[in-house]
Amino acid sequence: MTMDRRSVLGLGGAIAAGVALAPGLHLIAAPADKSTPETAPVRTGKRWAMLIDTTRCTADCTECTQACRAENNVPLFGDPDRDIHWIRKVELRDQNRRQAPISLPVLCNHCENPPCVHVCPTEASFIRHDGLVLIDKHRCIGCRYCIIACPYKARSLVFYKTRPPRDANPNVPIRAAGVVEKCTFCVHRIDDGKPPACVEACTKANKGAMLFGDINDPNSEISQRLLKEKTQTIRPDLGLKPHVHYKGI
Amino acid sequence: MLSEFTAIPGRSLAFWRMVGAMLVLVLMGAGAFFYVEHHGHAVTGMNNQIVWGLPHVFAISLLVMASGALNMGSMSTVFAVKQFEQFGRFSAFLSIALLVGGLAVLMLDLGRPDNMLLPMVYMNFRSMFTWNVFLYTGFMTLCLLYLWTMFEYKQYKKLVGTAAFGWRLVLTTGTGSIFGVIQGREVFGSAITAPTFVAISLTSGTAIGILLLVHTYRRTGRQLDDKLIFGMRNALIFFLALVAYLLIVEKFTRFYDPSSYAVESWILNGPWAWLYWLGVWGVGVLIPLVLMFNREIGNSVGGVLVASGFVVAGAFCFVAHTLLAGQSYPFDLFPGYVTSSAFQDGVAGSYVPTLSELFLGLGGVGISGLIFLLGIRFFRMLPEKAVAPAGWELPWTP
Repeated sequence: MTMDRRSVLGLGGAIAAGVALAPGLHLIAAPADKSTPETAPVRTGKRWAMLIDTTRCTADCTECTQACRAENNVPLFGDPDRDIHWIRKVELRDQNRRQAPISLPVLCNHCENPPCVHVCPTEASFIRHDGLVLIDKHRCIGCRYCIIACPYKARSLVFYKTRPPRDANPNVPIRAAGVVEKCTFCVHRIDDGKPPACVEACTKANKGAMLFGDINDPNSEISQRLLKEKTQTIRPDLGLKPHVHYKGI
Repeated sequence: MLSEFTAIPGRSLAFWRMVGAMLVLVLMGAGAFFYVEHHGHAVTGMNNQIVWGLPHVFAISLLVMASGALNMGSMSTVFAVKQFEQFGRFSAFLSIALLVGGLAVLMLDLGRPDNMLLPMVYMNFRSMFTWNVFLYTGFMTLCLLYLWTMFEYKQYKKLVGTAAFGWRLVLTTGTGSIFGVIQGREVFGSAITAPTFVAISLTSGTAIGILLLVHTYRRTGRQLDDKLIFGMRNALIFFLALVAYLLIVEKFTRFYDPSSYAVESWILNGPWAWLYWLGVWGVGVLIPLVLMFNREIGNSVGGVLVASGFVVAGAFCFVAHTLLAGQSYPFDLFPGYVTSSAFQDGVAGSYVPTLSELFLGLGGVGISGLIFLLGIRFFRMLPEKAVAPAGWELPWTP
């Protein structure tokens, strides 16, 4: 069979039109039933948040970051520009050097208006009903637009291929190269009724600098302290409504 | 006015050498893709602060040029500048070729290229990327239809050509808005970014069109009226003035805001200042304007070609500066404080591209080049003789 060039062009146009319209057809397809037990959204009425008291956090302490790495099998590659950091210690010095340096952990702020979720083309980044901002690693295409959009530098691309260590925690997903990851507030622990690993480690070290809880519960300790104490969030000017609060900055 | 459209003979050794050269670029790109895919993005120069590097510069430059390459077609179909009607087919086809090359690089640089079809299945309409999926596929569809109407159904040419013109403006607005909507990084997040991308597409698309058109005619021994090239030169001057205007307005507005002093001073004096001054302004705007305003150089086709070459390089510099300077600027998490950490807080991001990134980007150029060469070889894209209409005088010459 031979085709003349006009037919080739016409066929090309038709194929391109099909490719262009196919996503649109998806829009008018019947909505899938998403309420199967595996995919049913968590409807707890909770809103998780964290309070970090920088006056109790010291520069020499890295309990929170170490606990996070152990709990979530986060490796260190020895490549500072490409290491994965779910939580990191940041030191602040005021520009006039009048105050003593402040040391504090920075992690994903699980914003109410998360720009990472807004820009994610495949909805791989999403907000769970209890306010946790999570990543579906199977749906992430590794476009890195979320890293561009996050103002807290809370996300990392997995630059290296890795294998889980022998003593890896089996409760967290296996790491995949080429996808983006970040702090989950230790979602697997929260669902088991435990606090995030960093908070637990901070408490065990008798620092008491990190507090985690449900701010939808007015009687929770975090709600009470946020009501009484002077706290602030990082870059409130951006209107993202972050849920990691800091005291002492 | 229109002479017969024909495909180029494409029998010469020089033609097949060019095809071979493009194939080599495509193979280099394919090799780079598999290399990065096998080892992970650790073998690129990208890191957790600069996550979009040289491949994105190539990809976005090609996409921006693809939109602008439609200029010649739009000038005749939408604005009734009839002397450019003869380049309509060439223009629409060049758009498709550049678009395919740019998209290929973008897709192949994904962290998970095996998931590249997911954006067609799961869509987030708050994401500029999702809009761009529609805009790119829609633009390609319209260009193909536009081409088809120019070949066969001329009665629909104006309708489809006008739709393609409108679409390309939205398309480049979408590309610019990828950066324009980002508020979390101080260098991005400006409403003027998208119009500037549109203006850059007008300059670079016209310039690449001039370069390829003249070379195609010269190398195939066809007749091309210089006056037509000078008409495009005038359009190019106007588009360059538009770019200069938008760049100045942006800086003027930002410097009125004291909170922008630090970031703007960093752009004009920081580590990427050379790219801004030399690349964006020097190569991209001032040198081509000086060349085209010069009575001798501006009135020679060779001079216009050199100026066009500078414009294309300048567009590349503009995209590179937008991406790299925008990502390098240190995050200002705690205004008023100096920050430091093991995750490079408080320091400017550093980026040195690797060969694999360069090869991947060149692979996209190779794909575009290959499509273009085979297109003009097998389809009747260009008239045998391109002449200006009798009595048409250029409104302005240097």
